[in-house]
Amino acid sequence: MFEKSLTDLIQGLRANKRNEAEYIRRSLEEVQGEVQQSDMHCKSAAVDKLNYLHMLGYDMNWASFNVVEVMASPRFGEKRAGYLAATQSFHQETDVLMLTTNLIRKDLASANAMEVSVALDGLAQIATAELAADLFDDALAVLDHSRPYIRKKAVVCLYRLALKHPEGLHALVPQLKERLDDPDPSVVSAAVSVVCELARTNPHNYLPLAPKLYHLLTTLTNNWILIKIVNLFASLTPIEPRLARKLHGPLSRLVCTTNAMSLLYECVHTAIVGDVIGVPLPVADSIGREIDFAELCAQKLELFYESRDHNLRYVGLVTLARLQEKRPELVAGHYETVLACLDDPDLSIRMRALDVVSGMATRRTLVATVKRLMSQLVLSNAAALQPAAPGGVLGPGQQADACVGLPQTDASGTSLVSAQGALVPSNKAGAAGPDAADNPEYRLAVVEAIVGMCSRQSYENMTDFEWYVATLADLVYTAGVDVDRLLSERLLDVTVRVRQVRRFSTQMSRRLLSDSRLVSRAAAGGANAMTLAAAAYILGEYCSLLPADPDDAALLLPANLAAFTDEQQATFVQASMKTYTNWLRDVAGYWSADIWEQVRSVTSSIQRTLSQALFPSEGASSGDALEAGPDAAGDVAESAARLPLQVSSRLRQFAEAIEVVSVATSNPGDSAPPVCAELHSLFTVYELNPVSAAAQGKVPVPEGLELDSFIGIPIPDTSLKVIPPPPPQQQQPRSTAAAESSHTRGSRYSKGTGEHMERRDREGGPFYLRDDAHGGPRARGGPPDVDDIPVVALELGSEPKSEQPRPHKERKSKKHRKRKPRSPSPAPAAVDIAGDEDMPGIPTEAQPGTGPAAL
Amino acid sequence: MIRFILVQNRQGKTRLEKWYSSYAEQERQKLKAEVHRTVASRDQKHQSNFVEFHNHRIVYRRYAGLFFCFCIDTNDNELSMLEAIHLFVEVLDAYHGNVCELDLVFNFYWVYAALDEMFLAGEIQETSRSVILSRMDQLGNLE
Repeated sequence: MFEKSLTDLIQGLRANKRNEAEYIRRSLEEVQGEVQQSDMHCKSAAVDKLNYLHMLGYDMNWASFNVVEVMASPRFGEKRAGYLAATQSFHQETDVLMLTTNLIRKDLASANAMEVSVALDGLAQIATAELAADLFDDALAVLDHSRPYIRKKAVVCLYRLALKHPEGLHALVPQLKERLDDPDPSVVSAAVSVVCELARTNPHNYLPLAPKLYHLLTTLTNNWILIKIVNLFASLTPIEPRLARKLHGPLSRLVCTTNAMSLLYECVHTAIVGDVIGVPLPVADSIGREIDFAELCAQKLELFYESRDHNLRYVGLVTLARLQEKRPELVAGHYETVLACLDDPDLSIRMRALDVVSGMATRRTLVATVKRLMSQLVLSNAAALQPAAPGGVLGPGQQADACVGLPQTDASGTSLVSAQGALVPSNKAGAAGPDAADNPEYRLAVVEAIVGMCSRQSYENMTDFEWYVATLADLVYTAGVDVDRLLSERLLDVTVRVRQVRRFSTQMSRRLLSDSRLVSRAAAGGANAMTLAAAAYILGEYCSLLPADPDDAALLLPANLAAFTDEQQATFVQASMKTYTNWLRDVAGYWSADIWEQVRSVTSSIQRTLSQALFPSEGASSGDALEAGPDAAGDVAESAARLPLQVSSRLRQFAEAIEVVSVATSNPGDSAPPVCAELHSLFTVYELNPVSAAAQGKVPVPEGLELDSFIGIPIPDTSLKVIPPPPPQQQQPRSTAAAESSHTRGSRYSKGTGEHMERRDREGGPFYLRDDAHGGPRARGGPPDVDDIPVVALELGSEPKSEQPRPHKERKSKKHRKRKPRSPSPAPAAVDIAGDEDMPGIPTEAQPGTGPAAL
Repeated sequence: MIRFILVQNRQGKTRLEKWYSSYAEQERQKLKAEVHRTVASRDQKHQSNFVEFHNHRIVYRRYAGLFFCFCIDTNDNELSMLEAIHLFVEVLDAYHGNVCELDLVFNFYWVYAALDEMFLAGEIQETSRSVILSRMDQLGNLE
């Protein structure tokens, strides 16, 4: 029967381009028949064809047995076809693999070197743990083969086997040592590669090989092997510092003399990573001067990243970043060149340059660098949010009421002065291709770099915090990627920690919130919602720093408030209350009949806005229902009950406050009712300091306090959620006390609610009083403990601590009442950057950006 | 260590693939598509031959209509990989004599044989062109 050969198949495929699928289907059918035939030649041809089709994406796993048959063929060509098919199509779970064991064993022991080699090739590819275990010794035996070609393959193949069968590694390592002495260079090279790979994961085992490798380093001239050896030493020097000293000589010689860029790169890289540059021996550079090795490396690196070849640039920047970690002062001199690399059209080069640049930021260069980066964001920002006309972002020092247009970076470097009105197309002063800067990954990296540079080490590099806050606000508009959380955190961080900038920050927040387009966009899609919430918090918390504005409270209750998330709504409502009471307090100072009128009108309008913001679907009718009246609070309470707890609780508070005020101002009086003046003090009793994230865990649990024992009866948990187990730090004091109950509690959690209920039913049902103390309030299926409510999900600092009623109030209020003196951090801008508040006597776990611990 | 080697043409068809790490079949398809997307859209004149790819790097080189892509670890020397690619292509060229894509298609098992001579288990095995070529001749004579 005429069978198609492989060539015919391919030719046919190419001829039938239009009905390819059909042709392939037919061919597959033919192959199915051919592969079952007993004629080995026919079978192997079929396997070849299958192989080809496999490359096109057609599965050939159904023929695995036939592939093994072909592998067993005595003829070399067929055997090879079989092995090739095996390596291409077998994967770790192919069941016929165990059939191959004996087959491979036979091949490995074969007299024909070709068969051995093809077996080694195949084995390296398809080895599984069982195969590796079975065949390891056979492969080891091949290491002594007379042909270096086979030895070399065996070395690498054994590496693969050892990965799958780690116990074989013990036997392998001494053999590897011997192979390093092998007369044939390719075997040596293979051995070095294998040692290199192994040493990456476990350098200690290969340290004894170091002398031999050093010998090789100094004697060999083959660049490939040298690269491998140098790379290997990079893994070894961190654990053996004396090695660095020894390496200094050969490495510096290589760096000075070699012409091969790849070897140079490897040597410099190892010198930096392996800290050979730390060795204080001088080196002669190209003109014979004696300089430090590190300087020599920096000089050579200059060759790389100043070259026109993009590959070299990339590689040079990568190494420069590593050098910067060790010797920042050497890199700082190359600021300009690296900054130029930021404009490279290649994205990877840009990202590398970004790394280096952000590491280079100092006080002097920070502003310029950030401006450069911002200009990249702005210039190509197709998706920038344009602030609405009355809003917009200001440079520092401008009047709050000035009319502004868009943010625009001036080439001369003044921050963000903008033209009035229309969109001014920024002149793309020959900057990089727009594509690279439009890449969202890059933009994200840029924003993170900007923020990172500025806030590094408690703002050590900042000279002008107002500029920083303005930049953050700009990023809201220009970022074009989702950096919402980052910006909101940063905004809060700088405002809370740095007293002096609070006023400006509050102004900026007011600006942001006045931008109705920004707000509506946030409500619609959630973009920048967190930042707006942060702005709301700031405005609320520090509203006393600005002249009180009755419109602030309304500002903080935008019409589409209900579209924000619960926590954000809560923030807005709370902040609105703060600003309202602040204004009242302010106004109470100069009371008059007009003021009284104003207070009445503002109060009722706030009520209306409040209801409309939170119940937009109900329209005006509910607004009337919420007019000042004796049962207003009750109505609000009803409606509020439909809202989530955080929002409704604040809403109720606000409504109550409004109620109180309207009652107090129901008659015009000569002086302000005392309640007006005092209401704001609800929020100003304690100053809220930043608290470290780990501080909660450090609060010691008082002796004898049993938080998890049941007070009453467990109520069946009808919800489908599994209640999370108590945090680990509270387990210790309890481990001695109620060990069994905690054990059963633990099992209760892990098994879910089904068994939970079953057990309770067994124990007499949920509705009988019991007096044995099992489980805790959390194990009860009822309303979760207040501690479990994730109310602290707000990333807004420590607001919840003062607002949420906690059952264990005694512990926390003690913490609150202790006022720690805030120690100043060394900021050149003469500001106080607050450190984290913590328990006395316990070292604060330093967060990045935390000032000295306040003790 | 080399994770995988792919030779693809401009349309994205894979002419040669060698996987030195275990990837599931689905993953392989996805990776092939992704590599093609990443590499084919790059501009040779202005961009480097190294791309960051997941946690690895792709070192690639374009020869006529074919992209030779090697996916390596981040701590490998990319420049030497680039040289290795060139060496591989030179070997193919020397063996077939002015090799073109069609040669790779019709004689794919030769290409795999050459590949296996040069790279094994993700490491560069042999770097001497003459040795590789003599080996290939021997293999050819056996057929």
